[in-house]
Amino acid sequence: MNDIKILVVDDEENIRFLFKEELEEEGYQVEVASNGFEAIDKVKGTRFDVIVMDIKMPGMDGIQALNEIKNMIKEQPVILCSAYGEFKQDFSSWISDAYVVKSADTSELKQTIKNILNI
Amino acid sequence: MNPVELLGNIIEVSHSNLEITSRINAVLGIMSQGMDFDEAIVFTSDQDKRLTSRFKNQKSTLYKILDSYRCHIGEGVIGGVAQKRIPQYYDNKNIPPRFGCLFYPELDSLVGKYKSFAFLPLSDDSYIYGVLVLCTPDRRFITDAEKILLSIISREIGGVLRINDLFLSSKKRISELATLSELGKILSSNAEPQALLKDIGLIIAKSLNALFVTIKLDHAFLRVEPQRYTYGILDQPIENYLNELEQEALRQKKTVSLRNHGQTEDDISSKYSLYATPIMSKNRILGTIAICGGRSQKDYAFEENSRYLINTFANYIASGLENTLLNTKLKDVIKDLNNAQKRIIDQEKFKSLGEMTANIAHEIKNPLVVIGGFTKRLAKKMRMDQTESRYVDIITNEVSRLESILNDLLNYVKDTPVPAETCNMNDCIDEVLHLFSSDTTWDRMQVLKRYDKNLPSAPCDMQQIKQVFINIIINAHEAMNGEGTITISTGKTIMDNKQFVFVSITDTGGGINASLIDNIFNPFFTTKERGTGLGLAISNKIIHNHDGKIEIENMVGKGATFFVYLPVKNHTNREELL
Repeated sequence: MNDIKILVVDDEENIRFLFKEELEEEGYQVEVASNGFEAIDKVKGTRFDVIVMDIKMPGMDGIQALNEIKNMIKEQPVILCSAYGEFKQDFSSWISDAYVVKSADTSELKQTIKNILNI
Repeated sequence: MNPVELLGNIIEVSHSNLEITSRINAVLGIMSQGMDFDEAIVFTSDQDKRLTSRFKNQKSTLYKILDSYRCHIGEGVIGGVAQKRIPQYYDNKNIPPRFGCLFYPELDSLVGKYKSFAFLPLSDDSYIYGVLVLCTPDRRFITDAEKILLSIISREIGGVLRINDLFLSSKKRISELATLSELGKILSSNAEPQALLKDIGLIIAKSLNALFVTIKLDHAFLRVEPQRYTYGILDQPIENYLNELEQEALRQKKTVSLRNHGQTEDDISSKYSLYATPIMSKNRILGTIAICGGRSQKDYAFEENSRYLINTFANYIASGLENTLLNTKLKDVIKDLNNAQKRIIDQEKFKSLGEMTANIAHEIKNPLVVIGGFTKRLAKKMRMDQTESRYVDIITNEVSRLESILNDLLNYVKDTPVPAETCNMNDCIDEVLHLFSSDTTWDRMQVLKRYDKNLPSAPCDMQQIKQVFINIIINAHEAMNGEGTITISTGKTIMDNKQFVFVSITDTGGGINASLIDNIFNPFFTTKERGTGLGLAISNKIIHNHDGKIEIENMVGKGATFFVYLPVKNHTNREELL
């Protein structure tokens, strides 16, 4: 568990903090980025087992970042995590590996990560 | 009597303010006395060119006989004078028997009494007003001086008659104008066709002193059932003639009267004068108008007036009806436009409200996740007694409630395309009902299923459609306070040439208050204490996204039925897109 790396991408600092805490508690190593550009930079330097990506962000949004990252590393697992449920219908989000509606209850997110990691 | 004195007396009377009959009778009296004539009778010509005796001196005995007949212009001595406008003088030797008329048999015994006769035209340069007849029992030669005097007097009487004619005809014109202006006022008002026709009937009947006026409308253009508006009393025997006459007027497309139509001189036609004319506008026949006057009143003026006026009235009515109908159409169009505008405003309102809501919801969602998330973390880290953990539970519960409201809101705003999958509504309903099967608040609920076993599948997002049925069924459950019967039927139907499946869900919850029914699909409208007012709004939106529709049949006091219609074939060809 200790060597599983997760990147949390969200423009809201408190959300990044919440997810980092929650996921670290699960035993993952967690890094954060506050927008799409930052996320791509991080991905270039480090290999992440899972990326948790917000959608609505200033600069580069999550869908764009998702597509860029998938272009770079085809098998990179990305979970879209947004306040909206409606992006599910946006076909450009379909290449993500999962879609989780952002919630105070992080159990769905944690379970989705486990599913992707097969643990 | 001195001729100047005589003329002075006559002119004094003829220029007086006396009523026409007394005036001329007085003139005739003065003349017969002053010039020694026993008989002085004035015939006047009617509009149908017949001569009738109307005025006389007081002593006249012939008047009674002459009064019973009318003679044509050109007929006999009197008619001849009227035609040629030349005075005729006779004595008892050369006077033609019965004044040259076939009538007047009674004259035979009386005329012998008179020795001299004078017949003078009452005319001006252009028009003959009548004939003056004078008889005297004295055998005497009428002198040239007397003839001059008589011609002056007959000119004077002709002048009186002419002025009277002008007076009467201008009075008639004024009353016609008054009637027409009254009609115009009504026709230019925005009255409904029914009220309009009632008023028209009344005005015409009053102005013509008619027994009845009846207007019959019969044209698809009028968008009314064939119907009759009558002012006055329509007797059964006359109604048959009336119908026949109206048909004839429609056939000939002109005014017809009972006299020239019926030909036979039976009871009805001798008792009444009846006219009918088609009401035509832009070559369309809209109906007929008929007016009836009693013939017994000997009102020949009625007949003359009727024929002329009925045409005018028909034209007025036609244009009035056109106006009214245009008005009605215009009102309808304006109403439609207003409704459409209202709908657009509502849509825009909800659209912008939706957008705003989506933005707000999104902005609220993140802080809410943070609050809820850290509350949970706090709960994990802290060692709490029962009271504290209850506080934390309250916070997390309220946060999750807020989250679900926000999810609903965000769902309401989105327009989801219908996926290619199809599903069977019977299965869909069964799955929904299964959700409630373990719910104890459903113990006293009865569900009746009336499924169409051959129901075709409909393309839809099953999750969304299930959500719709869940919303409707939960509402029904709540409306019945957990006790009652829900009847669910499915079936096929055709609307606008498209095939639909439908699901109807009927509850026994007393129905929806009529004042609320217009609002129930509006977002944020709720009657529930803790409702978001989004359930039916979302349901409606989902069904509309599926090109279907939701309808409600509300029976206040009994229950409500929700009908959900979904098209069997999707109208946009999705197979091609995917």
